[in-house]
Amino acid sequence: MNEAVITGKQIVGNFIEFTCTCAEVAQHAVPGQFVMVSVSPTLDPFLNRPLGILWAKDDSFALLFEVVGRGTSLLACLEKGDTLPVLGPLGNGYSLDASSALLLAGGRGVVTLHFLARRFKELGIPVSMLCGVRDSSEIMLERYIIECESGLRLFCCEEGVRGLFQGTVVDALEEYAALHPLAPETVIYTCGPEGMLRELAMHPLLEKRRVEVSLEALMGCGFGVCMSCARKSTEGYMHICSEGPVCALSEVTW
Amino acid sequence: MCSLRGYLVNIKTRLGTLELANPLVLASGTAGYGREIAPYLDLNRVGAITVKGLSLFPCSGNPPPRIYESASGVLNSIGLENKGVERFIQEDIPFLETLSTRVFVNIWGTDEHSYRDGARTLTAIERIDGIEINVSCPNVEKGGASFACSLDSLASLIGKLRKVVTKTLIVKLGPMKEDIGAVVILLEQLGVDAVSITNTFPALAVNLSNERLFFSRKTAGLSGPAIKPMALRMVYEATQASSIPCIGMGGISSGTDAVEFLLVGACAVGVGTATLKNPAAALEILEGMQSWMEGRGIERIEEIIGKAR
Ligand SMILES: Cc1cc2nc3c(=O)[nH]c(=O)nc-3n(C[C@H](O)[C@H](O)[C@H](O)COP(=O)(O)OP(=O)(O)OC[C@H]3O[C@@H](n4cnc5c(N)ncnc54)[C@H](O)[C@@H]3O)c2cc1C
Ligand SMILES: Cc1cc2nc3c(=O)[nH]c(=O)nc-3n(C[C@H](O)[C@H](O)[C@H](O)COP(=O)(O)O)c2cc1C
Ligand code: FES
Repeated sequence: MNEAVITGKQIVGNFIEFTCTCAEVAQHAVPGQFVMVSVSPTLDPFLNRPLGILWAKDDSFALLFEVVGRGTSLLACLEKGDTLPVLGPLGNGYSLDASSALLLAGGRGVVTLHFLARRFKELGIPVSMLCGVRDSSEIMLERYIIECESGLRLFCCEEGVRGLFQGTVVDALEEYAALHPLAPETVIYTCGPEGMLRELAMHPLLEKRRVEVSLEALMGCGFGVCMSCARKSTEGYMHICSEGPVCALSEVTW
Repeated sequence: MCSLRGYLVNIKTRLGTLELANPLVLASGTAGYGREIAPYLDLNRVGAITVKGLSLFPCSGNPPPRIYESASGVLNSIGLENKGVERFIQEDIPFLETLSTRVFVNIWGTDEHSYRDGARTLTAIERIDGIEINVSCPNVEKGGASFACSLDSLASLIGKLRKVVTKTLIVKLGPMKEDIGAVVILLEQLGVDAVSITNTFPALAVNLSNERLFFSRKTAGLSGPAIKPMALRMVYEATQASSIPCIGMGGISSGTDAVEFLLVGACAVGVGTATLKNPAAALEILEGMQSWMEGRGIERIEEIIGKAR
């Protein structure tokens, strides 16, 4: 485990963003990877929690997590100056060989796609980003959509909120594609709730396209020893922590 | 002699005729096949690694979810997923050959033949020092009851395996109906070299959000600190009843936890669930155990094995 020092904390609605210093994690992290975070120095809760990397630069990296249960509530109590034991970076990450990219994020799925968009921007690769949330309590996530001159950004909310596109990410994708037909070489990257991913997997607009998805699973270790994180794929079970979390959407079975 | 921080405590230990450089054993199922954990921990510094339970043929395991966290513990329903004996030999033995640590291979089967065929193939591999038999799995020939559900079925299986296993033969026991003292006496008579105590405890988790059982196979195995007092009791009773060497495990997460197992009679200790939280846990436990012994002026591990009676 490495000791990351929390150098910044921001409360973003029901989410917390930590900026941390830890060269071992930051210098090796690529978009799509995650860290296992120890949420308690005691034996209860016992397991570490997987969290995606929001960005990494020089010796710093950031996490953005939704407070959903005991572990994330304990994490939320940490303050600037506290140390956070982390293991990582873990998992494979998105591929960066696209000539243009469209990123589809649902809820906390924005975390690793934010990092990816930053990286594409640095590489000069045109990137568009559509991000959706369920209700007005999550609209603060809009700040994580990356502005890129060559691409489009759209933030939507299923609940009607003035000034925002009303609908799901899939609705936004349909709207977007009607205005800007998807170029054949555009690679789609997605991360979000199961329902959204399933809908995308069946969607005619994405048929026969290269689509990469980042998946979640309950995890014991995060580094490939326990086989807890199995998920059905076309090749049998895949282990999300070591063979993923990123894989081709066509490999996932629903 | 092992000197981690410049002090000397003799922590060499023995399982029958097999010597271990130290008593720390990575338990089966939480260290992969070795390669997976190697980036995080110097495998040559543990006494032995036990690889994930292997069956003769690959097994895809149980449907997810496979893990649930309870107070100071973990329930797992991995369903013994593994790559099978052949792939293990091809893909993992070359890496294990680069190590100097002891290698134990944990095996399981659905009937006596599958255990025997797996054991026969593995015992022929030079790099393997010991074969650990997981008897806490369902015997399909006996309607799915565990091989450890009666002394007869256990004796029948282990008697056959003893004939084919030329390496150190370890039997891994879990909670069972039979008196553990009677079980270990039987295993000693059958020529078993050592026992590992304990496997996980059958347990249940409920999913409140859909008001159903959490795991598709209903029950799952509880491990971690929550089971430590029960594991200590089993190790104590087993080592009281017989002099068979015992690898004690169940919830060990600190040096002093390990010392407690030695005090009740284990001559080596297994670390399982603690590795999930910290891949280098076994080495930290080893260091903690050594500094405890040093603090007490203990020079040899034998001085504490079985002292608490
Ligand atoms: C590779 C990966 C990356 C992730 N990245 C992020 C991220 O960047 N930001 C973020 O907010 N969350 C992320 N998650 C989800 C996050 O790990 C869980 O929300 C967290 O572990 C919940 O811990 P808890 O103790 O608060 O919740 P618990 O009390 O354990 O559970 C509360 C709820 O969260 C669900 N949950 C628990 N563990 C997981 C898990 N591993 N994956 C999905 N759901 C889970 C439970 O089913 C339950 O519904 C990621 C998960 C994975 C597998
Ligand atoms: C995820 C997981 C997988 C396991 N797989 C095996 C296995 O394949 N064979 C086996 O004999 N024991 C297996 N075990 C049991 C452990 O080896 C150990 O006996 C038990 O968990 C108690 O020790 P612990 O509390 O230190 O984990 C597994 C345990 C866990 C948590
Ligand atoms: S979480 Fe342990 S193998 Fe993936």
